[in-house]
Amino acid sequence: MFAEAAQAIRDQHATLSALDSFAGDGDHGTTMLRVADQLERAINPASSLHLMKIFENTGWNVMGVDGGASSAILGTFFRGMGSAEGGNEVDCHGLAAIFQAGLKAISKQTKATCGDKTMMDALIPAVAAIDSAAGSQKDIGYALEMAAFAACEGAESTKSLTAKYGRAKHLGEKTIGHMDAGAYSISLLFAGFSAALNERNK
Amino acid sequence: MKKFINTPEHLVDELLEGLALAFPNKIKAASPGIIARQQSKPANKVRLITLGGSGHEPGLSGFVGEGMLDYSVVGGIFAAPGAPKCVEAIRNACAGGSSALMIVLNHAGDVLSANIAMEIAQHEHLDIKAVTTHDDISGGSDPMDRRGLVGFLPVYKVAGAAAERGHSLDECMAVAVRMEKNTRTLSVATRTATHPSTGAPIFDLGEDEMEIGMGQHGEAGTGRMRLQSADRTAEVMLNMLLDHLTVAKGEELLVIVNGAGATTLMELLIVFRRVAQILESKGIRLARSAVGEFITTQEQAGFQMMIARMDQQLIDLWDAPANTPYFVQA
Repeated sequence: MFAEAAQAIRDQHATLSALDSFAGDGDHGTTMLRVADQLERAINPASSLHLMKIFENTGWNVMGVDGGASSAILGTFFRGMGSAEGGNEVDCHGLAAIFQAGLKAISKQTKATCGDKTMMDALIPAVAAIDSAAGSQKDIGYALEMAAFAACEGAESTKSLTAKYGRAKHLGEKTIGHMDAGAYSISLLFAGFSAALNERNK
Repeated sequence: MKKFINTPEHLVDELLEGLALAFPNKIKAASPGIIARQQSKPANKVRLITLGGSGHEPGLSGFVGEGMLDYSVVGGIFAAPGAPKCVEAIRNACAGGSSALMIVLNHAGDVLSANIAMEIAQHEHLDIKAVTTHDDISGGSDPMDRRGLVGFLPVYKVAGAAAERGHSLDECMAVAVRMEKNTRTLSVATRTATHPSTGAPIFDLGEDEMEIGMGQHGEAGTGRMRLQSADRTAEVMLNMLLDHLTVAKGEELLVIVNGAGATTLMELLIVFRRVAQILESKGIRLARSAVGEFITTQEQAGFQMMIARMDQQLIDLWDAPANTPYFVQA
């Protein structure tokens, strides 16, 4: 799952930097490449760690790429996922609980929410989609497919928004018209998660 | 891009290596991305930690040394370091039961990493407090919307001097907070910097334009206008600062004019001259001053103008000795 997410990031890193250059300093793609390295390291087959420990370690390593707010938020998300109660075998309810725990960890660090033109515009609907799939007894593959779809729509929605957080905030309405680079990164991660599950099941 | 670099991936490592080699009697690379004093303080004195991205030299690691910082945690180019390195620096600073004060410039990534690190430090019962600097007046009325610009310098200086004199963590914190609350900065940019990793310009500005309120990374400010003379620019900016800090006749100010990277010392001095003249005409005392480069953004042209209201204790701490790579005072 992490491998596919890392690949999705790698394929699009130039686009991520280009998006960032409208509102930031144009290095988001470079930061995300280093995040992708950490995601790939996490799934080292030699590792026999507990799933939650893998999330926690990955979160810490993602924070360690020193990529400013992006890596701090993503690292907090993965580290938060690792704080969920759960075993190595996860059903859709368990998956929803893990993603909720990630989101909760972020909300402790930032007040950013939907509409602020940040990663949260993609992340919040994606996690909500997993919750809703779990509520209607769907399987994990379906849940992640819906999450990827919701994240993608969320990232698209940032085009019409004005940035309220981070450096882009100071550009105000000049940010309208461009997708938020962080939200696009989140949509790529979920696209990778979904591809991993849905291709494996085919 | 015309820069003397090797590979973009190694920019930060190589600049830190250079810094440590250039000032071996003052600082050392304690571990990758952490600059520390060559000789650490006695354990009973408060240690000062800061964090921030690279590409702004001599900020922030250039102020590690006697009388100022104990540790600087260094991030990527224009990007905050992550929490893991901050935690490592805090653990080093607090080893053996010492207390520490973390000084955080208000930028999204720095604040996030500092907050996460502070939570972990508190969980480990380490004796640490944090102060956030937000001196930029272009951010709006909410202080938390205001960015941390060159106003970090007097905070490092007075808190560092207090720590050196053996003041407690609470006393150092109080001095840092008072200094911070009385500091205001405004920046102006006339030409963009290029990002040293990507080679791309970080903003566009017309040949005959200037922008007041530009951030440290070329974040847009509030007022874009035709380029003005040094005197006129100094007048506009100083009046905005004096208004914001509500400075009264007879009060004492510290003034810093900080070059953004490509603006010459000649220009900075011409601007400073006008600042001093205006203060004198208004009956405001210029208690102390500094003109030079303390935090830069590559070859961005422009400067930051900083004023701070001083009292006798703050002046006394500002005057205390310091021996760091880029701030030395006997």
